[in-house]
Parts: sequence; structure tokens; C-alpha cells
Amino acid sequence: MLFLAACAGQSDENAVSFMVFGDIAELEAYENLVAAFTAEHPDINIQLRHIPSQSEYRRRLATDFSGGAPPDVMLLNYRRFATFADQGGLEPLGGYLAESDIIQESDFFAPTIESFYLEGQLWCIPQNISSLVVYYNKDLFDAANLPYPTNDWTRADFLTAARALTMDVDGDGRTDQYGVGLAPKLFRLAPFIWQNGGKLVDNLDKPTRLMLDSPEALAAFQWFTDLQVKEKVAPDAVMESAESSESRFLNGRLAMYFNSRRGVPTYRTITTFDWDVAPLPNGERPSGILHSDGYCMAANTRNKEAAWTFIEFANSIEGQTLVAASGRTVPSLTAVANSPAFLDPTQPPANSRVYIDTIPQLGRVPIMTTWVGIEETAGEEIERAFYGQISVEEAAETAVTLTQPFFNRANKP
Amino acid sequence: MRKLQGFWRTGLHHGTAVTVTAVFLLPLFWMLVTSVRQPGLPPQRTVEWLPESIRWQNYADLFVMMPTARYIVNSLKVIAVAVPVTLFIASTAGFGMSQLASAWRRRLFLGSAVLLMIPGTAVWMFRFQILQWLGLIDSLWALIIPAFAASNPLFVLLFYWTYRQVPASIFESARLDGADALTVWWQMARPLARPTAVGVIILTFVMYWNDFIAPVLYIYDAQLYTLPLGIQILKQLEYGNWPYLMAGSVVMMLPIIFLFILLQRAFLHNISLANLFERN
Amino acid sequence: MRTEQLTTHQKTLQRVKKRPFSTYQFQTRLFLFPYILGTFILVVLPALATVVIAFTNYNTIRPPEWVGLENFFRLSQSAYARISIQNSLYFIGLAVPLRILGALLLALLLQRKRRLFGLHRAAVYTPTVIPPVAYSLLWLWILNPVYGPLNIFLGWLGLPMPAWLTEPGSARLAMVILSLFQIGEGFVVLLAGLQTIPRALYESAKVDGASGWQSFWRITLPLLVPWLLLLTFRDLLVSIENTFTPSFVITYGGPYYSTTFAPLLVYELAFDFFDFGMAAAFMLLFFVLMALLIGGITALVGPRFVREDA
Repeated sequence: MLFLAACAGQSDENAVSFMVFGDIAELEAYENLVAAFTAEHPDINIQLRHIPSQSEYRRRLATDFSGGAPPDVMLLNYRRFATFADQGGLEPLGGYLAESDIIQESDFFAPTIESFYLEGQLWCIPQNISSLVVYYNKDLFDAANLPYPTNDWTRADFLTAARALTMDVDGDGRTDQYGVGLAPKLFRLAPFIWQNGGKLVDNLDKPTRLMLDSPEALAAFQWFTDLQVKEKVAPDAVMESAESSESRFLNGRLAMYFNSRRGVPTYRTITTFDWDVAPLPNGERPSGILHSDGYCMAANTRNKEAAWTFIEFANSIEGQTLVAASGRTVPSLTAVANSPAFLDPTQPPANSRVYIDTIPQLGRVPIMTTWVGIEETAGEEIERAFYGQISVEEAAETAVTLTQPFFNRANKP
Repeated sequence: MRKLQGFWRTGLHHGTAVTVTAVFLLPLFWMLVTSVRQPGLPPQRTVEWLPESIRWQNYADLFVMMPTARYIVNSLKVIAVAVPVTLFIASTAGFGMSQLASAWRRRLFLGSAVLLMIPGTAVWMFRFQILQWLGLIDSLWALIIPAFAASNPLFVLLFYWTYRQVPASIFESARLDGADALTVWWQMARPLARPTAVGVIILTFVMYWNDFIAPVLYIYDAQLYTLPLGIQILKQLEYGNWPYLMAGSVVMMLPIIFLFILLQRAFLHNISLANLFERN
Repeated sequence: MRTEQLTTHQKTLQRVKKRPFSTYQFQTRLFLFPYILGTFILVVLPALATVVIAFTNYNTIRPPEWVGLENFFRLSQSAYARISIQNSLYFIGLAVPLRILGALLLALLLQRKRRLFGLHRAAVYTPTVIPPVAYSLLWLWILNPVYGPLNIFLGWLGLPMPAWLTEPGSARLAMVILSLFQIGEGFVVLLAGLQTIPRALYESAKVDGASGWQSFWRITLPLLVPWLLLLTFRDLLVSIENTFTPSFVITYGGPYYSTTFAPLLVYELAFDFFDFGMAAAFMLLFFVLMALLIGGITALVGPRFVREDA
């Protein structure tokens, strides 16, 4: 039984556990980060824990917190940290940042720092900033004799391209190449609402209600849904479940796929075609949606000094440069984002400036403890409308009704 | 005439049995066929009973893509401890129970029956906290620990029923000769319960090998992941890449099938298992 | 007979037994100690904690706060709870009778000793022992609406091809179908049950001129009823519990909540919405519902058959 004793988790004073999500390419970036940190701080022992999928990761964190054993340092999305922060599970990091000699608030893109504020406190140090962009297959555009998307293309340009790129290649009467891949979720729909001048919630700082049923939001929702229901330029429910849109994009059978920066490491493994990125097609006004993850520290971390030293290092120019090498992140430090570490001209996407140039237009979702429930619940209704099972009006109305308890719960004194 | 009728009936009987077997094995057959297809190709849209080319390399790839070998070793470590411990605790507890006065036997039986009805979901969360207090989180012991409570009340009951069928006088005469309880159990009771033990070994092996929820909840360290977690990770890494996913599933399934074929004769003829549903 | 031979012996034994705490008795009780202690710590204690948590507001980080019946009130208004209970009842109503019937038919078919029948029995049992994660992945592939072997096979036979997991009705049905392959436990139990029926009963029925069909209705079925009944009770609890991994791995409760059965909702409430109080309350409610169902069935059919058998 000796071998089992040897397997029991070791714990020493200077151990800091660090949990991240992401695919294998990202894991390598984090391994490099930990190695570089250990070289500078040999006295601190970082234990890296890795969960590939983000939804698994979030549930994993919930279990860890409920058992009173969260990791010391963890990567959290700005839509999700509030649940943990509000309950006293996280250590506020504003004070640490103020005293740091290495980094300060003004080094970061402003929207991403703002997104980690809750009740006047800064809780996590943002690692990245991204927006929703369109990944497009250049070869398919060439084959259809279409011009590539420009940085100020409109929804009309987008729809023209999408129609031309949707086709039945082998002539068996079934569509096997689609123009658009777009997940029917609230988080994907939101920027189109803002483009129409609409609102996602009534008050971003003190939200009490989802505004999906407002005229501007309904118009955006209708346009979004028509891509599938009316135009049929996106896979329907059966085709999506047969093979996901992202897989179709990777296999060269889908022309324009909507995603944040996170897809890049995987897309860089594509060898069969060339691809690039374009901003979202413009509506009445340009708008995008903020994606951001930050390093957070658990409140019951034993060695907070060591944990902060690691967070500080990870968000230093050196640390962010290492992680940016994976292609996964748009660095949140303006200096790194504007450096070749990110804008590397030898690696696709060539148009990487899009991620930085659109930052001033980014909107964001409210920071609240029950936001995950709201997104998931509204998502179910949006999905039904997107696949033509119910009307947009009905979906919006149901989503507003079903999400109301989550707002009430978050606003309970 | 009668003989001929009998021939047809026997034939029909065998035919139905073969059909049933085919239906139950068809999903597994599909699993196997898909597992040796070329990965990354668009899936076929016609019936393919056998793949055009067989690619065993998929299985080798599994061990390169992720530390599959380590996951298997961890799973086996858990089993190497959990199965013998369960067997010992369940057998002795079942014996102890069979030696109680009838009132206590009944109470203990009812208690165990109620335990069988508690849904696993009710236990997940707070078992975490208890393991935390015991300092077992993030070690393989967190997965093994139920073995020290016989893994499942059912196993205790199985042994209990077996020992109850043995005439009490057999144990009692040994007792009068001055043997202690451990000796009576080891020398007289245990050999009589061999078929039950085989059944419990199989069920325990399956239980720990298949266990998905406990490692999800109680293990962090990737060095300690067991195979079901590995398969879950494979699903996240290779989503939609069916040949790899099916190859992983086959690897996961093989030891169970192997053990089962090895011991199935003893298992499917084991009356004591059936006692599970006999009233006490 | 043996007891008569041993009467004197027995008297001695009784004397031994009456001694308040013989070493032997103490030792056999010691045997029970790890089982009882372990079960108490690992099962009873956490289950009791869950019951208490049902009456609190608990979000895992702050200590729980007593709220009385509020969670149950919220449950009564929750659309999720209603849908999940409906789904669970649909599943139980369809899967449990079919599973028991299937196990019975297969046990009848394969009970005799014939060439290769050992193999057939093993084949029927095999899907039951497949690791749930692997089994779920397998079905995710089989049920793929376009590329999955099942629909390709159905198309080959010229049959309609359902959209399976993309349409609520067929997705819920698919969950029932895949549970029907895992009936090995009931199958083994009924095989053993059939073996306990004395052959002499059939012989005498044959002499009285009963057909195979008649002796099934008059002998086999009545004698199996207690087994079937207990199997039903067990399946009511076990089959719904076993939907967790498939609904987690294959559909995560969708499409549109159609495969959100009770165990998955408990998990979602707790680990997606961090509402552990509500999760515990829902679990308690569902458990009580099942207990009532079992009580109801016992009251309806139980006494008649149980008495007949005794």
C-alpha cells in the first residue's frame, strides 16, 4: 500500500495551486508560464490543474468552493466571477495591484479592468480581452468570386456573401456547404441588439430585467433568426447536431464562423485552406461584445503573498507575452497587445488588429451573481426560435418571464 | 410428426435467442467498427458493416494524445485495494449479521434496505466535506474509502443471505470447540460463500472501474485521474472525432468484458444474488 | 431431523447464548463495526445534511442560513421543477414497465440449458456493465441524425429516420430506449426466480392437460409476482438515478429541457446555479414522491399476492 501513500496530495507552505481551462495548445502556454515563473521564483511551487472545457471547469470550481478547497489562483470569465466574489470566496486584488511595482491599472485596456469591478472593488486581474469576430475561409470566398470582408462591411454585404456561399456541392439535393456558423446564444445575439441601439438589460449597473422584448432587441433577434429560418445560410437543428458548425468550418465546409479569439490555436492547425478574421458586420452603429478572463485568488489561500507574486508575474509583460504565443489570448496589457508577440505577421490571422481596433466599440453584459442562469435560460428560448420551433416574439417573451426569478434573486437584499 | 414439431420449436427458440443476442451486441459492434475508422474524415452516409481499411493505430494514438496508460494504472490501483477490502468487510459484516439475534438482524436488514434507496445525488456534496475533514480529498483514497464500508449495503446482504442458508449448528459446534469468530468465519463460513464472493468481486470491480462521479468530485491532480475522467477529457478534446471517442470507449470496456467472460459462468448461475429480492 | 439429533447440543448452545456478552458474540459484532461506522459517515451523515440544507439558503461559500419552507415555495413556482418532474414521471412510466417486461421475456426465453445459451445470457447482460460514460458516448454516436449507424440502418431498411436528439419528443424517447438495453440485473434476478419454481408443479399441470400457455399464467406468473414487484420498486429508484450520466454526457438536459430528469436538475441547481438549498429541497421532494408511488403500488397490488405466496 506504499504506492498509494505516495499518491496522496503533497502540501507545503509555498505551494500555490493554479487552475486553468483550455485546449492542449493553451495548456502548453501555461506550462511555459509556470516554468518561466519557477525559474525566477524557485521557492514557490506552482501546481497546475487543467480542465479542457470551460463549462466543466465552472462546475468543477463550484464543487471545489462548496467543499472549501478551491484552487489558490484560477482563471475566471468576467461573466462568472461575481458568484464567487459576492459570497466572499475571492480575495479582492485592487489593493495588491495598487502596491505593485510591476503593473498598474492604467497598463490594461480600460473595458477589461472595468468588467472585473463589483461593488467598488477590483476582484481579478484581466488576462485577455477579445471581441466576437468573424473567421472566414478565404478559399471559399475565392471559389465563389466574392470580395473578402472589409473592416466596415455591413449586414447587407454579409448576407450577400452568406447566400452565395451556401450551396449543395455534390448535387445530392442537400446543402453541404453553409455560409454562416453562429451559436444561438444570448451572448452571441447581444452585440446585434446593441448595433440596433437596443439594450440587453434595463440598467447595466443595477439590472432588474432582460430587455429582449424591446422593439430594437426584437428586430435584432429577428435578423439573427432569419439567417437560419428564412435564409437557411446556417445549419438547421438536425445538421448542427450531425456535425457542429465549428467542425464544418475546420473541415472547409462552412465559410464564416463567429467566435472570440479562443478559436485561434485550433484554427492555426488548419492546413487545407487559408483563413482570416473580420469584425462583426455593422448594423445602425458598430458594436461588439467584450470577452475577458482574469486571474482570481481564493479568499482562503494560505500563502497569499506567493499567489499574488504568481498573478503579478502572469500579468507582467513577460508573462502575457508567453501566454500570447499560444495564439489564444488578445493580451489585456496594451503594451503586449501592440507588440509582435500578438501581432505576429507570420501567423494567421493576418488581420489581428481587428481585435484591438474594435475595443472602443465593445459592450458588455452586466456583472451579477445569477448571470449564468440568465444566459442559459434565455439561450434555450433563443435556440428554439433560431431553429424555427417558435416565433421570435414568443421566445423573447418566454425568456423575459423565465429569467425574472434570477434577477429577483440577485437583487434580494 | 411430434418430433418434427419439436425440431421446429427448438429451431425457433434458438433463432429467437440468436436475434436477441444480435440486437444486444449491435451497439457494441458499431462501437468497434467506428473505432478503427480513419479519424478526421467526414463520416459516411451509407451502411458500412465493415470499414474499408482497419486502422488499429487509433488505439496507439490514444496513449499519445493523453496519458491513458497512467489513467489505467490509477484505475487499477483503486481496484487493487478496493476489491479485496470490500470483499473482506462485506463478508465479515454479512457473517456478523447472520450471527445476531433475530430482532437485531431484522433491524439491520431494514436499515440496509433503506440505505439502498438513498439516491447518490443526496450524498455527493456533503461526502466531499467529510472527505475534506478526513484529509482524503485529492488522493486515490477518496475513491477507495467506500470499500471500508463494504462499498454497497447490497454486498453485505448478499453474504448475509448466503450465511443464513448454512445451518446454524455448523458454526455453533465450532464455536463450542473454542474457536474465535475470525477463525469460524475464515475456516467454515468463507469457503461456503465462494459463489457469492465471485459475484461481489465482479460487481465491485465494475463499480470502481466505472466510477465517474467520485473522481469528478474528489480528484484534482491530473496525475491521479482515473480512466473515466480520461474518457471525459477525450470527449472534450476530440469532440465529434468519433473514431477516437469510440476507441477510448472500447479501451474502457475491454477489462469488464474480459472479467465477465472469465467469471460469467459462476455469476449467471449464482442463486445467492437472486436472494436480493427474497423477503427476509 | 438434524435438529432432533442435536437437541442436547442445542440446549448447551442456548445456555451459551444467554450469557450476556460472550467473547464470540462480541467478536461477531466487531465484524459489523466497520460497515456500520463507514456507512454512517459516508452515507447517513451526508444524506441527513442534505435534508437539513433543504430548509436553508446555501450557496456553498457562506454558511447556510435558515429559511424554513421558502425553497419549497420557490419549487412550487419553478417551471424547471415542474418540467423535470414531468420528464421523470414520463421516463418512469415508460421505462420501468418495459424494462421489467423485457427482463421477464428474456429470462423466459433463455432460462433453459441449451447449447450456446450461456453465451446468449452473457450477451444480454453485457450492456449493463459497460461504463456509463462509454455507453453514453456510444449512443451519442449511434443517434447522430445524419451520420449515426441507427438512422443509416433505418434508411437502408426504408424506414423513417427520426431526428432523435434534436427534437424534444424523440430525445426523451431515446433516453428510454437506451435504458432498455441495460436490464441485465432484472434479467439475472428473474432467471434465478424461475429456478426456484419447483418443476413438479409443471409436471402435474401437464398431467392435468394444461398447455404451456396455461401453465405460464397459472404457475409461472403468480409465483414470480413477488419478484416482479420488488424488482419494480428497485427500478423506480435505480432507473431514474441511472439517467444521470446519459443525460449529462449526451444532451445535458436538452433539447429544450426534454431530458432534464430529476438527478440532472439537482446537479444543475447546485453546480450551475449555486442554489444548493433549492437542489436539496427538490431532491427531498422527489424522494417523497417516489416513496408515495411505491407505497401506492404496494397498497394496490401488494397484499393480495404477497399473502398468496406466503
